[in-house]
Amino acid sequence: MTAMAEHSLQAVRKSVTVSASPDEAFEIFTEDFDSWWPHTHHIGKAPMTKAIIEGRRGGRCYTEHEDGSEADWGTILAWEPPRGVLIAWQIAANWQFEPDLKKSSEVEIRFTPVENGKTRVDLEHRGFERMTAGAAEMRTGVGGEGGWGGLLQLFAARVEQKATKGES
Amino acid sequence: MSTYRDRQLDALGDPTRRAILARLRKGPAPVGRLARDFPVSRPAISQHLRVLKEANLVTDRADGTRRVYELNAKAFASLREYFDEFWGVALNAFKKRIENRNREER
Repeated sequence: MTAMAEHSLQAVRKSVTVSASPDEAFEIFTEDFDSWWPHTHHIGKAPMTKAIIEGRRGGRCYTEHEDGSEADWGTILAWEPPRGVLIAWQIAANWQFEPDLKKSSEVEIRFTPVENGKTRVDLEHRGFERMTAGAAEMRTGVGGEGGWGGLLQLFAARVEQKATKGES
Repeated sequence: MSTYRDRQLDALGDPTRRAILARLRKGPAPVGRLARDFPVSRPAISQHLRVLKEANLVTDRADGTRRVYELNAKAFASLREYFDEFWGVALNAFKKRIENRNREER
């Protein structure tokens, strides 16, 4: 592909500094995942009731729903409390669970102590190029306003709603 | 703005159009070539390409007498933009959670 297309596949990096020790931040990020993860973020078919990260290598990342169903969205690839965690992001182009780890992107979260007892949390979402089968569809589906097909559209709208509400 | 979004959804709702996008991922191609690659008529391919172009998913350019289509690189870049925003929202929620906890403990 062209240089531009390659460029578009570079990892997404985000950082935030929080007033907590790495131990605390790691625990809240993972064990208390449900306490902060926006409940609008899921790929289940019914409203989400709980978001869970199983704290061990090979652990499941999934959500529980009002209709009693569960929806997997990831697997813990590396578990190194309190330094970091690596999660396979198993969401395919069609917004369905992707069982094949080789076709999944991944999210690494690292916790680094900084001054005043605070912790910097660095997040990197990478490996978009692995979403092979539906990758072209997925990437091109993400239009100027962030469309990924029907479900993602709804999803993105809800995220925006949530973000707007959160700010007010 | 929402018009673009609706058009993109409509454009992606058709399996042939999705297949054309997957084909264009391998590189730009003229209409005639795409018509040979797919079991649909050339006018049908042109129609699909028109829909994709209107949805801003592909761009076209003249190459002599041929019209060559390729994926819109800007649409590609948007995946990153999407996740950039997505993780921004999520990490902000995480930070707020910790701030709230700290307030409660004080």
